[in-house]
Amino acid sequence: MPETILVVVEQREGKLNRVSWETLAAGQAIASETGWALEAAVVGSGVEAVAREVAAKKLGKVYDVESVALTPYTPDVFSAGLKQFLENKQPRLVLMPHTYQVRDFVPQLATAMGRTVISDAIGYRKNSEKLLFTRQMFQGKFSADVGFSCDPPWFVTFQSGAFRGDKVEAGASAAPVETVNIDIPANISRNRPQPVFKEAKQAVDLTQAEIIVSVGRGIKEQKNIELARQLADALGGEIAASRPICDSGWLPMDRQIGSSGQTVSPKLYLALGISGAIQHVVGMKGARSVVAINKDSEAPIFEIADVAVVGNLFDIVPPLIEEVKKAKSA
Amino acid sequence: MLIFRKPPENIEHPQMPADVVIVGGGPSGMACALRLAQLIDEHNAKNPQAELSKENIYVLEKAREIGQHCLSGALLDPGSMRELVPDFEKEAPLEAPVSKEAVYFLTEKGKFKLPVTPPPLRDHGNYVISLNRFVKWLGGKVEQTGITVFTGFAGSELLFDGNRVTGVRTDDKGLDKQNQPKSNFEPGYDLQSKIVILAEGPRGSLTKQLIQKFDLVKDRNPQTYGQGVKELWEVPSGSIAAGEVIYTMGWPLTAREYGGAWIYGGRDNIVSLGFVTGLDYPDPRLDPQRVLQQFKRHPFVARLLEGGKLIRYGAKSLPYGGWWAIPPVAGDGWMILGDSAGFLNSQRLKGIHLAIKSGMLAAETAFQALKSNEFSAASLGVYQQKVNSGSIKEELWKVRNFHQGFEHGFWRGMIHAGLQQFTGGRGVRNRYLGSAGYTRMKKLSELPSDGNPEAHLLGPAKGDGKLTFDKLTDLYHSGTKHEEDQPAHLIIQDTNICESRCIREFGSPCQNFCPANVYEMLDDSSAPNGKRISLNPSNCVHCKTCDIQDPYQIITWVPPEGGGGPNYDGM
Repeated sequence: MPETILVVVEQREGKLNRVSWETLAAGQAIASETGWALEAAVVGSGVEAVAREVAAKKLGKVYDVESVALTPYTPDVFSAGLKQFLENKQPRLVLMPHTYQVRDFVPQLATAMGRTVISDAIGYRKNSEKLLFTRQMFQGKFSADVGFSCDPPWFVTFQSGAFRGDKVEAGASAAPVETVNIDIPANISRNRPQPVFKEAKQAVDLTQAEIIVSVGRGIKEQKNIELARQLADALGGEIAASRPICDSGWLPMDRQIGSSGQTVSPKLYLALGISGAIQHVVGMKGARSVVAINKDSEAPIFEIADVAVVGNLFDIVPPLIEEVKKAKSA
Repeated sequence: MLIFRKPPENIEHPQMPADVVIVGGGPSGMACALRLAQLIDEHNAKNPQAELSKENIYVLEKAREIGQHCLSGALLDPGSMRELVPDFEKEAPLEAPVSKEAVYFLTEKGKFKLPVTPPPLRDHGNYVISLNRFVKWLGGKVEQTGITVFTGFAGSELLFDGNRVTGVRTDDKGLDKQNQPKSNFEPGYDLQSKIVILAEGPRGSLTKQLIQKFDLVKDRNPQTYGQGVKELWEVPSGSIAAGEVIYTMGWPLTAREYGGAWIYGGRDNIVSLGFVTGLDYPDPRLDPQRVLQQFKRHPFVARLLEGGKLIRYGAKSLPYGGWWAIPPVAGDGWMILGDSAGFLNSQRLKGIHLAIKSGMLAAETAFQALKSNEFSAASLGVYQQKVNSGSIKEELWKVRNFHQGFEHGFWRGMIHAGLQQFTGGRGVRNRYLGSAGYTRMKKLSELPSDGNPEAHLLGPAKGDGKLTFDKLTDLYHSGTKHEEDQPAHLIIQDTNICESRCIREFGSPCQNFCPANVYEMLDDSSAPNGKRISLNPSNCVHCKTCDIQDPYQIITWVPPEGGGGPNYDGM
């Protein structure tokens, strides 16, 4: 039986992850150097279209590995399904892109099969009949060539960008697609997937905010953040903070202004209880106007403030919120 | 809740074999690497059939770039450098040869110039340098030889096999504030090395592990330290000449503190000025950063800086203890260099040339060891013999009692120093004993509450924003940056001591001696004395003062994630 290279391409909700083309390009290169056969597999349910897309490239065959249990993705089901498929096919080399999903299931898959993974490789080298893969060490300062001493199948994942996806060769004609239905026992998954969500909505882009209400140590306690938030809401602005507030976990780090956080230039910057150390000021000195409220009349923030209010923010902010609301409704 | 950095359990560390690992890419470590490469190249040219490889010789440097954590005055005595790179003056970045020198004794408003510069402070023939630029250059030469410098990697643990040092573990990367691995977690590497060379600078964290494990300070004087706080200024042309060197004694310190200032004129109207305060002062409220601010207010200094502006700030400890405080510097699989060993002449205020020399001697020893494939204490002990029989001891022996003479104040110190000058360093006895500086800190109850006569040195500096600066403003000019989401690398063994004892007995001196505002006592009604300790580890400038000076010795400085720290460009 000829030796086979199997590229497991990645699909999510029926769409091919483009980084799979890079892995396929790697597979083509290794195949031409070793003379081994090249095949690919798509794993999922109802993913034949993806298999057809891959079949247009230069390779021997594409497997459409199907099971209804494979949707939605869970690492338990994926590694069980692939294990079954690989034990049957016995490829020499299994290539995958080093994606989050692969990182999630491949350690489990390899361990279940008693094999090792060379992960996050950036290249390969054929060295007197031995196939070596290049991994980075010391944050890229060093490269190590590593090879397998275990029995096949050998698992390798490639770093994104290690090969050129646009250089993947098209086939003279479409490769055959073989559907492989696998049986995955029910209840094998210990994971209960929740609906997919994007955290990106959370991440604020403070650089776009026109009004920022920023809090510093003068806010004293976490529960008082609410007061600043009310003011920000009333003004239609964003809430932000100096380092100690985010460091204490009272607000997320992406709301930190200053040398170790974001640099902003809103139309209005309202600094509540911020002393104005230079580390903070460098992040907001581009604001068009700065209003600072601070108990300490010598606080350096007043040196750059357009309006300086010396006083207790807890006395000043609540009526300010009322006034803003009144003015807005008027 | 403070979470401290500690090695995660059950983590496998990638292994990598090495011949020599040098921990720390400062002057001693780089000189060592360069000398070793020279010796190997010479050997290989003569013995093409028995070549030695340089491939497995590594330098670990925790800074993101070579030289970024190097801070010194600095004056270079070129002696050892000429041995390492003959004619180095032609290619090394030097600010200026010393052209003029003066020593002043300052009173609050006045100054007395010493009529004759004392011989140890005569600097003709030396160079004003930026240690940062100098080491960057030296490191470049090391890299040209083919030796790899791993920048952004700290040595975080020593590896042992029984009593033999077998390697170094680098820092774990990608731990979050709770000491839990993040998605980018990368465990430290185990560099299994035949020889480990510690060149970490003063109070090295691995050196400390080694000293504790083998009780290397037995029969030695405790090491004593100073904290140097430095500012780089750009002044109007004509204020000070390039190569001009000024030392001062006296004000703002009183006779109870040890220390003094330097002012060096560099190229392009850049002035390096700084104040070294001995970390053996009595009043826990003293703040070395404030001492420098007070110094600048002296009319003599203020005039010199007039019209100028601050461009950089930094701080670093330096070892003062001298010959009697130096631990054994070689053993089974290890050697210690430079400031980590304590090779600094506290009378001449110079250590760079000794650091370079120690690096060269260790390189010669390592070279022989590699040739004979023998790395035992006996083999590496040759380094110890070279130190004892050569120029390092010769220089340090003459000043072996210098700093101890000042333990009872400035005036008695001057008498001892004078006596030692005429007795080859002996003074009134061959070995003056010394005590660790932190033991000389007095409790608040033993001190006047108004702080007199040191009131002007106590508590945080306010700063006028022109001549003087508060600590945070100064700190900003150090360019310090760390990954924020990582555990605290200042490990406090027991924070109860901070909150229940230290605050009452010493008034939490960590807030004062730290030149980077890392330590803070924050109001907290649930804490026993109304304040809890809080850390800002990302402010840390890696000076090690907290590890040295905390009166209960409960703070351990360990390296944060590699790549973080100050940016001492031009310092």
